Amino acid sequence: MAKQNSSYVKSLQGKINVSLLFIVAAAVISFMIISIDQSRTAVRNTAIEYTSQLIKMMNESIDSYITSMESIARIVVEDSDVRDFMFSEKEPDRALYDEKISGLFRTLRDSGSDIRNIGIISENGRYLINDIDTLINPHAGYEEMGWYQRALSGEEVITSSHVQNIVYNEFPWVVTLSRKIPGGENGTGAVLFVDLNFGSISSLCEKTSLGTKGYVFIMDDAGNLIYHPRQRLIYSGLMEEEFTPDMLQGEDAVFSEDGQKLYIISRSEVTGWTMVGVTYMDEMMSRTNRLRNLFYLMAIVLMGVALTVSIFLTDMVTKPLRKLRGTMKIVEDGNFDVEIEEPDTGDEISDLFRSFRNMILKIRELIEQNTEEQREKRKSELNALQAQINPHFLYNTLDSIIWMAEGGNKRDVVLMTSSLAKLLRKSISNRNEMVTLSEEIEYTRSYLTIQKMRYVDKLEYEIDVESAILHMEIIKLIIQPLVENAIYHGIKYKEGKGLVRIEGGFGEEQILLRIVDNGVGMTREELSHVFDERETDTRKNGVGVLNVHRRIGLYYGGEYGLSFESEEGKGTVVSIHLPLPDMFRGRGEGSEEKAGKE
Amino acid sequence: MKEKDNHKYILLLIVAVTILAALSVFYYSGRENAEGNNELLVRIVLLPKGVNDSNVFWADVVEGAQMAAQERNVELTVLAPAFETEIDVQNRMIEEAIEMRPDAIVLAPCDYTKTVPYAKKVEEAGIKLVILDSVMEEEAGCCMVSTDNLKAGYRMGSYMKPYLNEESVIGIVEHIRGVSTAVEREQGLRNALGEYGSKIVDIRYGESSYDKSYEQTKAMLTENPDINVIFGLNEDSSAGAARAVRDMGLGGQIKMVGFDSSLEEIQFLESGVFDAIVVQRPVNMGYLGISVAYQAARSQEVPAEVESGSVLITKDTIYTEENQKLLFPFRESDAE
Repeated sequence: MAKQNSSYVKSLQGKINVSLLFIVAAAVISFMIISIDQSRTAVRNTAIEYTSQLIKMMNESIDSYITSMESIARIVVEDSDVRDFMFSEKEPDRALYDEKISGLFRTLRDSGSDIRNIGIISENGRYLINDIDTLINPHAGYEEMGWYQRALSGEEVITSSHVQNIVYNEFPWVVTLSRKIPGGENGTGAVLFVDLNFGSISSLCEKTSLGTKGYVFIMDDAGNLIYHPRQRLIYSGLMEEEFTPDMLQGEDAVFSEDGQKLYIISRSEVTGWTMVGVTYMDEMMSRTNRLRNLFYLMAIVLMGVALTVSIFLTDMVTKPLRKLRGTMKIVEDGNFDVEIEEPDTGDEISDLFRSFRNMILKIRELIEQNTEEQREKRKSELNALQAQINPHFLYNTLDSIIWMAEGGNKRDVVLMTSSLAKLLRKSISNRNEMVTLSEEIEYTRSYLTIQKMRYVDKLEYEIDVESAILHMEIIKLIIQPLVENAIYHGIKYKEGKGLVRIEGGFGEEQILLRIVDNGVGMTREELSHVFDERETDTRKNGVGVLNVHRRIGLYYGGEYGLSFESEEGKGTVVSIHLPLPDMFRGRGEGSEEKAGKE
Repeated sequence: MKEKDNHKYILLLIVAVTILAALSVFYYSGRENAEGNNELLVRIVLLPKGVNDSNVFWADVVEGAQMAAQERNVELTVLAPAFETEIDVQNRMIEEAIEMRPDAIVLAPCDYTKTVPYAKKVEEAGIKLVILDSVMEEEAGCCMVSTDNLKAGYRMGSYMKPYLNEESVIGIVEHIRGVSTAVEREQGLRNALGEYGSKIVDIRYGESSYDKSYEQTKAMLTENPDINVIFGLNEDSSAGAARAVRDMGLGGQIKMVGFDSSLEEIQFLESGVFDAIVVQRPVNMGYLGISVAYQAARSQEVPAEVESGSVLITKDTIYTEENQKLLFPFRESDAE
């Protein structure tokens, strides 16, 4: 297992999986980095864009307040009643002007938004604020106030936010616009002032939402705070506004040093005020953080999916390869009889399988062909050997015939000669490998006849073969060599008369031929060496027992052949086991059993 | 077969790791979203003495508290009786606040003694307690945020000292006898006056009522017509005394220094009845109170005492940029 793991990276599957994982990881991570960066930039730009527009819009609204104040101022300054009231030689009748000027002021206050006070004050103490009943605060000290002094000197003044104390018992927060009222032949100066409720500006700033922590503040051109939500904390030193106009350097948007705050400004041409929107980036970025988490999630899931798919895929590819390798291993070990199941994928792998299978089939065919050829060769070799008639035998037989002829034993000469002739004809003429059992027995009989005549007092023979099997075909020359063997090795050395008996019948699912002699038999040792290839000496035994055994094996298969039983001094039994021919199937004891079963 | 098992094992591992990672990301992001940022939400209940339309001081305290809460991740609840004198109402509110199980309570005790057991309850409940403005009979809470009354009193005295001479006769109008703020301010005042302390001929108590202060001042001036210097030691006693001086036609003749700010006091200052007033910084008090409570709730070290400050204002400095904001609180309700 451990070894498998260590070699996993080296395996094809491991290589593919690992590289695919790397590729997917690289792709996902770079995608993630780019997307997050892009979205951060996008969010940042959106924040700048959004805040800029907001600030600009606010600035425009504030400008519109100021513009309306200016137009009010223009109307009042141009008004002849106002001039008359301020500059007439005589002390004017307040009640008389009340109608005219208060009416005008009322109309203007109603038209303009959030105009707190409209007032005119002259150096000589004439004043009218809003209406005739409004009393000036005797302790106001307006003469000392900037908006009064600067206006009197001819400046057009727009103040910062301040508390207007000029009306008795009122202390509203206002922005004051003031200017000199021209005219006055006697040289007395007069000032017009218009107070805008500061609430209209501050509520504009307060309502502007720049996140929970973000805020808007306004500075005048001197850098004083006009509005700041934390103004009181700043004045008491508990808080500091980090922003200074120097930070801008010509830009309309600038980040604080730590990058946490974004300042966006809009400068008003009308008032000279600078409106600053402060946005906290972490609030802006919380959205991108969520996006980032989503990306992480996606990356993990994607990599998991990629890995899973990759493993499945590589498994699909390498599994048949591994199988193929297993099969090849078996073939490598010499077993060509393997089953090759071709995978049903239709791809290159199944092509490979098909080729491999064809190769195996071809090899198997070649091997079989080769084996067959070898067998045929051996067969014919063996047949050729078998067909030879022992020359000693021939010589001895002919010698016997001569002796018999000299003895005038005419009948015996004929018998022996005809038997020899039969023997010779069979061995020469019949090129056929197969003969019927009866022919084979006849051949053997001819041989036995000759031998019996030669060993008159030594040899007897009996042939007892079931007539049913006489017509079956067998390979030729299997009985005679065994009989010859029985005579030369069994009977020949026996004292007295010997008997060779040929039996034939049905064995268990086979044909059984037995050559039984009562000769000297074999020792146990001799019996164990009966198939050894020692006796190629044709003089002694011809091609003999081994040849017969081999030929039967070649023709009918290894399970058929010869078996020996022997007892020293008592004789030998050689059994020839042959297959049961098809025509006998369904007969005999074995087949009866079978029939019974069926 | 063995190889197949191996693959199954690897696959299972991948699926498990993927799920685990996905869950952790979800958990992490979920937590972050719920909190908004990495700071934990701190819940604080503020209990000022009395919030109503005419009282500027406590409204400013609340405003300062709200500023502090907005800057931090604080959920602020304000529970206040309409008037400072409603001690029982505030005590019930303290119990109510405890039941809300906040991280910290910022309490401006209405009473020197009666509030004590309730303050103890807060601490017993394991809630951080910050005391605002006034001390109590027994010490309580982890921090005290208040005006340094000794210093404030000293400011009054040291302003007046250059104008004093052998002929000076000094009267003082205080709010409540024995209350810590009154005692400390008087002490600070005496410290500043030094040898002229002996010129103090009368001390009256207005009992936190404009009318009582008015009558007491009148009585004092009637009994001691020589008095030419008067100090008021809180808002109602100062305003009441100023009304009496004005009504008796002595405005400008008697040098007066008031304490705390209201529109009325400012008008007296403008019209010259007061020569100066010493004002506290209620916005700072509220802001600092919540800041300290936040730190305490987050188990950070907090100082035992925090001073919220005071300022002396004369007629000439009313309309400075800084003082305008202090004296004329600008609120949404004023905008109309």
